Amino acid sequence: MAQVATTAETESKQFIDYQTHPDHYRHWQLAFDGPIATLKMDVNEDAGLKPGYKLKLNSYDLGVDIELYDALQRIRFEHPEVRSVVLTSSKDRIFCSGANIFMLGKSTHPWKVNFCKFTNETRNGIEDSSEYSGLKFIAACNGTTAGGGYELALACDHIILIDDRSSAVSLPEVPLLGVLPGTGGLTRVTDKRKVRHDLADIFCTLTEGVRADRAKQWRLIDESAKRHEFDEVVKQRALAMGASSNRPENAVGVEMTPLRRTIDEAGYHYEYVDVVISPSARTATLTVSAPQELPADDLDAILAAGMSWWPLQMARELDDAILMLRTNNLDVGTWILKTQGDASRVLAADASLLRHQDHWFVREVIGMLRRTLARLDVSSRTLFALIEPGSCFVGTLLELALAADRSYMLALAEGEAAEGEAEAPKIALSELNFGVYPMVNKLARITARFYGEEEPIAAAQAVIGQPLSPDAALELGLITMAPDDIDWDDEIRIAIEERASLSPDALTGLEANLRFGAQETMETRIFGRLSAWQNWIFIRPNAVGEAGALKVFGTGSKANFDWGRV
Amino acid sequence: MAAATSGVEIARQHLIDPEICIRCNTCEETCPVDAITHDSTNYVVDFERCGSSRCMACIGPCPTGAIDSWRQVDKAQPYTLDDQFSWDILPTQAEFAQADAAEIPTDVAEITAEASSGQGGPAAPPWSAAHPYLNLYSIAKPAVATVMGNHRLTAAEAASDTHHIILDFGNTAFPVLEGQTIGVLPPGLDERGKPHHVRLFSIASPRDGERPHYNNLALTVKRVTEDHQGRPVQGVASNYLCNLQKGEQVQVVGPYGASYLMPNHPNSNIIMICTGTGAAPMRAMTERRRRRRGQKEGGDLMLFFGARSPAELPYFGPLMKLPKDFIDINFAFSRMPDRPKQYVQDLIMARGSDVARLLRDENTYIYICGLKGMETGVNEAFHEVCGQHQMDWEQLLPALRKQGRYHVETY
Amino acid sequence: MSINYSEKIPNNVDLASDRTLQRALERWQPEFINWWGDMGPEGSNSFDVYLRTAISVDPKGWAHFDYVRMPDYRWGIFLNPAEAERKVNFGAHKGEAAWQEVPGEYRSNLRRLIVTQGDTEPASVEQQRYLGLTCPSLYDLRNLFQVNVEEGRHLWAMVYLLHRYFGRDGREEGDALLERRSGDPDNPRILGAFNEKTPDWLSFYMFTYFTDRDGKFQLCALAESGFDPLARTCRFMLTEEAHHMFVGESGVGRVIQRTCEVMRQNKVEDPEQVRALGVIDLPTIQRYLNFHFSVTMDLFGADVSSNAATFYTTGLKGRYEETKLGDDHLLNSNTYPVLQVQGEKLVTVYEPELNALNERLRDDYIKDSIGGVERWNKIIDKQGIPFRLTVPHKAFNRRIGPLSESRINPLGEVVSDSEWQARQDEWLPSAADRAYVASLMGRVTTPGQFANWVAPPPRGINNQPVDFEYVRFN
Repeated sequence: MAQVATTAETESKQFIDYQTHPDHYRHWQLAFDGPIATLKMDVNEDAGLKPGYKLKLNSYDLGVDIELYDALQRIRFEHPEVRSVVLTSSKDRIFCSGANIFMLGKSTHPWKVNFCKFTNETRNGIEDSSEYSGLKFIAACNGTTAGGGYELALACDHIILIDDRSSAVSLPEVPLLGVLPGTGGLTRVTDKRKVRHDLADIFCTLTEGVRADRAKQWRLIDESAKRHEFDEVVKQRALAMGASSNRPENAVGVEMTPLRRTIDEAGYHYEYVDVVISPSARTATLTVSAPQELPADDLDAILAAGMSWWPLQMARELDDAILMLRTNNLDVGTWILKTQGDASRVLAADASLLRHQDHWFVREVIGMLRRTLARLDVSSRTLFALIEPGSCFVGTLLELALAADRSYMLALAEGEAAEGEAEAPKIALSELNFGVYPMVNKLARITARFYGEEEPIAAAQAVIGQPLSPDAALELGLITMAPDDIDWDDEIRIAIEERASLSPDALTGLEANLRFGAQETMETRIFGRLSAWQNWIFIRPNAVGEAGALKVFGTGSKANFDWGRV
Repeated sequence: MAAATSGVEIARQHLIDPEICIRCNTCEETCPVDAITHDSTNYVVDFERCGSSRCMACIGPCPTGAIDSWRQVDKAQPYTLDDQFSWDILPTQAEFAQADAAEIPTDVAEITAEASSGQGGPAAPPWSAAHPYLNLYSIAKPAVATVMGNHRLTAAEAASDTHHIILDFGNTAFPVLEGQTIGVLPPGLDERGKPHHVRLFSIASPRDGERPHYNNLALTVKRVTEDHQGRPVQGVASNYLCNLQKGEQVQVVGPYGASYLMPNHPNSNIIMICTGTGAAPMRAMTERRRRRRGQKEGGDLMLFFGARSPAELPYFGPLMKLPKDFIDINFAFSRMPDRPKQYVQDLIMARGSDVARLLRDENTYIYICGLKGMETGVNEAFHEVCGQHQMDWEQLLPALRKQGRYHVETY
Repeated sequence: MSINYSEKIPNNVDLASDRTLQRALERWQPEFINWWGDMGPEGSNSFDVYLRTAISVDPKGWAHFDYVRMPDYRWGIFLNPAEAERKVNFGAHKGEAAWQEVPGEYRSNLRRLIVTQGDTEPASVEQQRYLGLTCPSLYDLRNLFQVNVEEGRHLWAMVYLLHRYFGRDGREEGDALLERRSGDPDNPRILGAFNEKTPDWLSFYMFTYFTDRDGKFQLCALAESGFDPLARTCRFMLTEEAHHMFVGESGVGRVIQRTCEVMRQNKVEDPEQVRALGVIDLPTIQRYLNFHFSVTMDLFGADVSSNAATFYTTGLKGRYEETKLGDDHLLNSNTYPVLQVQGEKLVTVYEPELNALNERLRDDYIKDSIGGVERWNKIIDKQGIPFRLTVPHKAFNRRIGPLSESRINPLGEVVSDSEWQARQDEWLPSAADRAYVASLMGRVTTPGQFANWVAPPPRGINNQPVDFEYVRFN
């Protein structure tokens, strides 16, 4: 703990940290009652992450969402008995009023974008757990549910709005702030809740929102309840929805121990993940290591290992590293992905994951890996994988190379390695590469890579488990290029330098367009269409100019729009 | 010092020929001491900077050869950059006041008088001869040259040991003309405890250097092991010179000789008659003409060269390679087995009609160099040839002398 | 077959221990020799040519003369010695240490600069490959071959940069340099002037005077590059480029000399009479000059160019004598005069200096090339002939850029299309001119002899006499 304290101290000066613990929550109350977990939003208005705004009316900033993310993780891992989660508020007559407008008004553009991305991922994570982990989420909207508050509710499986003749659900961003309900709100209203577009149009331009009965009629909520019956309705609904869950009844959870991490000038250092930042080159090299020994394979051992079971610890470390880099190192635009260690141990871990995939804990570990890899996909950073001697881009870790915009594999002549010289690197596929870790477009990376074409996917499937030489990997289309040892240094250096010199905005757009291919899902529409529009609006003078709607909110002044349509 | 008494110290100034230069900037780029600069018309060389380096780094890279231009100048008044900027063509070589004739060492004067006695006393140089520098370096203040090369010219089996010795003057101006001689001061003292006498040697290279445009010259030196009467004797200077190693330094005086100079005008013919190391001035003149063939500077060259055998004939190999239309070569060998003895006079007579044709041409100049003994025979041969071709040698010879067309140097 | 690198390829880039280069050259070197066999000087492979070979970069090794068969010429790889602590001297990176490796950011622009420069080198060998069959003397034949082998070496220099610094892309570009062909409509050389024919020796002299001088200015600008290996390579190439311009300047000068001598001796001035004496009349020389000058003008690129600005700002390509110029080396605020046709007139407009760098280099070039033309005029003056050669206006006969849309005469006046059609034979070599010059081309191979239409040079090569046997046909 001393370690953590020191780290926390360092970070308080410089870093936004995503690690927390219920003991330190300032904005949420997490309570457990048998199969029901209740997460009560209780935002401390004086505990904003940054100075300059008050988190009134259960409005949130990144700090609030970091705690929400932590709480969800604890429900997943520490409380296997939980089958349904009730999201509600401890404040009277207010469920949640969404992202804090003053925070948004004061924030830089990148901060806003990163904040929205993280909140989006957390809400997607709610849906992910509902889909894969048997956790059902009930939004118990016990008061005003506005903007981001309603978007949080939209992420749940079931929305119950208190029918008190005054509480309403609303998405007032457009009329009030001149921006969009950007945390998936617009998309979920249509794609998930199938609200007719003309009704949605009215809903999204009504500052005051829609109260219970019409909300139900328009499909904006699933049910309403009067004040006196509200808690009971919520509880019964939670029990009912949890009934079909396949989460275990008597399992013992695995405690989420703090990550062991050191931060220094060079970067972020964990046991299996190491991040070395080069500020001048604006690159970060993320090296993921295979386990030092064969990871636990039987369930008891796996549970005993718990948080230190390699696939989970590695995933948590990688997740944290991604979040740290995203938030604290905005100008580090190129992430170089490397792996190192014994590939057979990685493949052994994959085999364990596959064999025990129906066990709640392993299922959660797979979920963690799935969400972490998906986080990598949407990180708005160039990803170059370097497959070098001593690396272990196999199975789960091959996903890193498949996620990358380009992968370079060092071609060394076969069998010529003299004593002490490096063997040519190999990559390998495992079953896990074929659907266990879908991207946000619901496609396995390998499927997206080949646009679903059968032939190359079948060819890849045919070599599952086989070590693949650079030539074979090139032939199968699994890597981008295989420069030989003579070219390697220059080729890589130049590729990275060249990349780092291109417009970061254009690269983000380019990479996002190329990575995800043709297939759209609600999630891709959130990350793509909605976020793109939102991010555009966020830099427009109509939102953030001196007289922009976001800037003047709360000042009494009226926004001064440039009426030209673009 | 000779130059000091005349008030002029001669220096060799590096210049660029503006007619040939293409202003490519290569020299300026190459020069390690930034001696070369340019304006919108010319590339020019700073006398001081270049002189202190004289590294020759610019010579090789110059695509045109314009860089390889030199003039003897008064060290106190070299051509300035502004002078050079103003040039369309290189200036002709300026004349300098000569050192006082009295400065010529007595030794040298005596030897010279003796050597040229065969032409009947001092003779005028050819009218088109270049103006020679004389006696720039005295015994009191000799020039110091460095040996750049020393190799035996005569075949290993030959009895005589004749050497080709290249002396480099570095930054010291030592301008010479073909036919001139220099004096060498052998180091040490003679048996009487006095410094050795100066010894004179004919220069064997043309005026622009043994290697073109280098400040060096060549000598042809036969190692003296016996005197004229065949008595064994060790020639001090010749043995000193023949034994020199590359890099050693030699004290040199001179140059000397204002008469035995070659003509430079178009169509001027040269008859050269020599034996042994008497080839030196002939080689110098021939090489001068060879280097300037493009300019069509001179007329015919005719050489009569006597030696005991080809093995003892200095420069035999290079001579054999010269084109026939460039030089008419006649070798006379006196010690060939199975062959009658042949001397240069025999060949002059044998080539009588060609010799006569040349003698009739007032552009023909005759040079004789070698052992004293050849004078008589050559004289007789000319007499004979003239007789056969309706000319009177006895009348012709004084005219030739008067016109500076008959030059003898024998020893 | 392995190559004995230090023997076969003289170099100062430590080729013997550079695997990247060795591997690239193992493939490229035989391809180059094949290319030389196919496209090098026609029928010359068995000749012994008295050539200058650079065997090191110091003044002593710089000019090593000997007889060489051209396929055995030791094409070397040389960079000027490094300048300690060299900086980028202009543009946005000014003051930073010069780059010793290709900055990834500028990889493609640098590669493009190098490929464009490199492409001209084999192109001119291809253009000149038949000239040897009509050489006016052994001396000239040798000079032609010297130019050819040095163009070959310049190709090596550029290919070295591609191989050493640009990885696989560089190797592919190196191959492509041997695959394009001058004048091949399907696969032409990159720049227009390098697809024109060099049909006769007057064209060759003009080409080496005017077009190779463009090379000099491009090399000078690249020699200022912040990418140090490029700068050093070009600096050394400049030393060789000088020989090409010497061939051009002295060649044209000797043609003029001969013409004037014949005119004076025979007291004729009328071009027809001059031609009757078998020499090239001065007006024809003027028209050739006009043609080659104007074609070369186009090589400097568009008058207003954002590429040029980018190359400058990013430190890749400087101005002529950049480091001797006294301004801020950023050029953000100044303007530079550029010509435009407005209505019926050429007018000067002022463009941002950064965008006018092509024009500036063109103007520097013009200043330099006028000097030689003036020296030619001195030859004419010396013979007392009342004739002056002039360079045409820089807007004359342009094929690239906005000026190419108008007809502009050698005086810089905009003329109508009909006037152009009517008078272009006064300004540019006509078919008849070219036919006449072609009719003079014969083959003179006796040492010391020269074709009637050209005077001998004042000096031989490397202090050899003029009648030296510069080429031995075996």
